[in-house]
Amino acid sequence: MSSTSLDSSPEASTVVPPLPVTTTEAPARLRREYKLPATPVVTIKATKSWLPLNLHQLWTSRELLYFLMWRDIKVRYKQTLLGALWAILQPLVMMIIFAIFFGKLVRMPTQGIPAPLFYYAGLSLWTFFSNSVMSGANSLFGNTNLITKIYFPRLLIPSAAVGAGLVDWAIAWLLFIPLLAYYGVGLTWKIALILPLSILVTALALGTGILFSALNVKYRDVRYVLPFLLQVWMFISPIIYDSSIVPPEWRRIFLLNPMTGIVNTYRAALFGQWINWWAIGFCSVLTIVLLFASAYAFRRMEKSFAELI
Amino acid sequence: MIRVKNLSKQFRINSREERLVPYDTLRESMVKAVRNSFARIRGNGHSVTEILWALKDINFEVNPGEVMGIIGPNGAGKSTLLKILSRVIEPTTGRAELYGKVGSLLDIGTGFHPDLSGRENVYLNGAVLGMSRREINAKFDEIIDFAGTERFLETPIKRYSSGMYVRLAFAVAAHLNPEILIIDEVLAVGDAEFQQKCFAKMNEVINSGRTILLVTHSMEMITKLCQHAMLIRNGLLEKIGAAPEVVDYYQVTSESHVEAT
Repeated sequence: MSSTSLDSSPEASTVVPPLPVTTTEAPARLRREYKLPATPVVTIKATKSWLPLNLHQLWTSRELLYFLMWRDIKVRYKQTLLGALWAILQPLVMMIIFAIFFGKLVRMPTQGIPAPLFYYAGLSLWTFFSNSVMSGANSLFGNTNLITKIYFPRLLIPSAAVGAGLVDWAIAWLLFIPLLAYYGVGLTWKIALILPLSILVTALALGTGILFSALNVKYRDVRYVLPFLLQVWMFISPIIYDSSIVPPEWRRIFLLNPMTGIVNTYRAALFGQWINWWAIGFCSVLTIVLLFASAYAFRRMEKSFAELI
Repeated sequence: MIRVKNLSKQFRINSREERLVPYDTLRESMVKAVRNSFARIRGNGHSVTEILWALKDINFEVNPGEVMGIIGPNGAGKSTLLKILSRVIEPTTGRAELYGKVGSLLDIGTGFHPDLSGRENVYLNGAVLGMSRREINAKFDEIIDFAGTERFLETPIKRYSSGMYVRLAFAVAAHLNPEILIIDEVLAVGDAEFQQKCFAKMNEVINSGRTILLVTHSMEMITKLCQHAMLIRNGLLEKIGAAPEVVDYYQVTSESHVEAT
């Protein structure tokens, strides 16, 4: 669906310039206004199993993406008592628990970073990731009425759900600033890496969310499997522990999880520590591959969404 | 202009398992994969699904500026046809060519969210129906004026009466501006006064030179609004022609259908 209005349609205006029509004229006169394009604007037929991503179409419907995201954000905090504060509260409470148990009692190594900061960094990142993946994966069900009634690129739905999580991410960041100041952590140039890392973690959430949203339509098990899967994923990522406790011979396997590289680099960027460029490069490649593979898989499955959902 | 050639749509129904739900669970898929491979070895595979042709070999053309009505009994395939032309579902075989930007109204209030206010829903619904933000901005006052819900702009629509809800929904849809409009029985909404308004608006839309495809059960609407009509029965295009003729034919034949059964 193109976003151009009827009156500015290039096909209509190039053939014969439209007659100047005022609204007061008899409607029957308007009939001559539309000129047929030489080729169909839309041709409908059965498609092959693998489809191009059609990035151009995604780009032209960015306004709809914006509206869907805006709706998801608005709806999320309507009629909640604390509103956007929930975005901070969840990682904050977890951070306090882990800082007490792992930091004070177990004395887990944290690379010399104050325990609350160490855990808040990991947990706020993870909370964003896991919430985005969950809402992305369930997004198609939340939009059944759209999918069965109207055509638009379906990829917009999980993308909007993941994108809406970015607001939570930004809010969770607001707590970082006083925390960093309180513990007197000096920022280095590496802080500039936070932005590309945020894009990377969003891309990973998008890739995962898109894949599971499509699978969710076909297999209803996904909604039961996914929370469990995310929990396992959290424990195999260095969210609540430092990578240094992983035995050296396992570290390569450990890096196959793109989340590992992201969390490690994220902490290193925040607290100005050594960055493993090789690891973050590798996990960027993994993330991009996952994103494209998921998008293609989604496109393959999307044509049957309206019939299955 | 709409050109439809040899369009068919097939649905698969699982007959053996008497399933009420069309989706699979992972377990079922795995069981099925194993069972089917055994079945194939024994040489009696593919017996699980029954095929239903919701539409079979549909051919027609709607000329630019023409209003085509579609009639037929429930379950004949009318909505399937509209869904294919709206690109919500894919045809199994055949093709359809649409010369122009398409707007489809298979339902009113598509994308309305109960928690959002009237104003927010106008924007959301407009965007979903393919309007740009600029277009919505330009038509906003007109839409609200048409719906007559100015006082409740900031009220969440879950607090709207059902009449107010449909009026707002219709108002957004009525201000859509595509060359081809696909409509599925969304017109008979609201009280008598608003229905009059809808009818007048529909007439205006119809007379503006758009190509329109309209499904309805109201024979009055077909004869009043459409020049041509087609009758779809059991997935087949049974008759196409001038609206009054097709309506007469449908009424006569459906009586005999009833007598026969």
